[in-house]
Amino acid sequence: MAWKLTDVDLKQLVGILWVAGMVLQGVLSLVLLGKKAWRHFPVFTSYALFSFIANLSVYLLHDSRKLYFYGFWISEAITIVLGFGVVYEIFFHLFSSHKALLRLAGLIFRWTIVALFCVALSVVLVQSPVASMLRNGVLIFDEATRVVEVGLLMFLFAASAAFGLHWKQAEFGIALGLGMFVAVELAGMTLRSQMHSHDGSPWQVLDVVRSLAFNTSLLVWLGYLLAPERATSNVVVPKRAQLEQWNQAVTELISR
Amino acid sequence: MTMIVIALALCAVVLFYMAVRSRRKQAGQSLRPVNLKAFRALMDRDDELFLSRKLPRSKSFRLKRHRIRVTLRYVARIAANSSAVLRMGEAERLSSSTPEVADAATQMIELATEIRLKCLLAMGTLVAEYALPSLQLTPGVLAPKYQSLRDSVSRLGALTQNRAPLAITI
Repeated sequence: MAWKLTDVDLKQLVGILWVAGMVLQGVLSLVLLGKKAWRHFPVFTSYALFSFIANLSVYLLHDSRKLYFYGFWISEAITIVLGFGVVYEIFFHLFSSHKALLRLAGLIFRWTIVALFCVALSVVLVQSPVASMLRNGVLIFDEATRVVEVGLLMFLFAASAAFGLHWKQAEFGIALGLGMFVAVELAGMTLRSQMHSHDGSPWQVLDVVRSLAFNTSLLVWLGYLLAPERATSNVVVPKRAQLEQWNQAVTELISR
Repeated sequence: MTMIVIALALCAVVLFYMAVRSRRKQAGQSLRPVNLKAFRALMDRDDELFLSRKLPRSKSFRLKRHRIRVTLRYVARIAANSSAVLRMGEAERLSSSTPEVADAATQMIELATEIRLKCLLAMGTLVAEYALPSLQLTPGVLAPKYQSLRDSVSRLGALTQNRAPLAITI
């Protein structure tokens, strides 16, 4: 009895988080339109607006099981394609001002895509025997595409750290929000594809975690888009005495 | 495979967290001085050869590793400074209305990028030498390039008239 009550509670929580997410998506859409974000981030603006409309439509269709199923997965497929577009948009913004790096980064980016597609293919091949149902097959395909998406976002963060690049506020927020959601989604998809039943508490818990991750990403996007761009700090010149002390210490170290 | 994919997702979350922390740190980061004379002395192969001839193999290797650790700190500092110069150059290029200043900033950015790449290469070779001390892979190309970056910063400082102490500092 207690188990069933928990299950009902979780379903209600998922419902609340779903509605909260739609409200946040509405606010994000207004912010993007108000800031004319399509000028700088056309793909991300399309991604956010499409996600909002799709989520709203799927919510209205959730009483019809069949329509909900097809509506959800079609919108999910389009969102994933747009998600790849967002990753490329961020990559271009990050590297376009560094001509010397753009070619090298572009080359590494392309090879990373090839490597990640191989990983994604192995995910599909290894897990396909479990996929006896259509839904499991879709889950595995979703998981494989999320592997590529997470990998590309990891590449962006790792490459920017290695090359010492500076992220602009909005770019960083978009990549961070997308990355957080996609990473949680990947872990969730992987666990779901291993489950044989689509009901029960574990499935509901994953739904709650997914909704929480999505809403957190929306808050991250809103936060970074609304916060003012940090000014580059003025270079603080150290005192000469400090430099001399440091020099002395290193000289002593190397001449020991 | 399930564990690998979940590990990948967890690694991604850790990487994003580190990126947020590093961005916060970057905001307050300033240029730190580099003693090029000491840096060059550390890279001197003659010194190294002399030590390896005079000392027992194990001791010379230990000493070489010690030198590498210090050299790595220098390289890391040069890399961090190049990154700061990169940000400064970008800000300068975006805010400047004079083509001369924008050109100087662009040149500085390109050089800083080149140095940053060379630092990555240098770190790789130093790590390889640390693992196998009998190897001889010197990042000797770095010092002249860094000197060149100093000159570029100096030129930009002269054009903007507000960054004059910068070249002296780095």
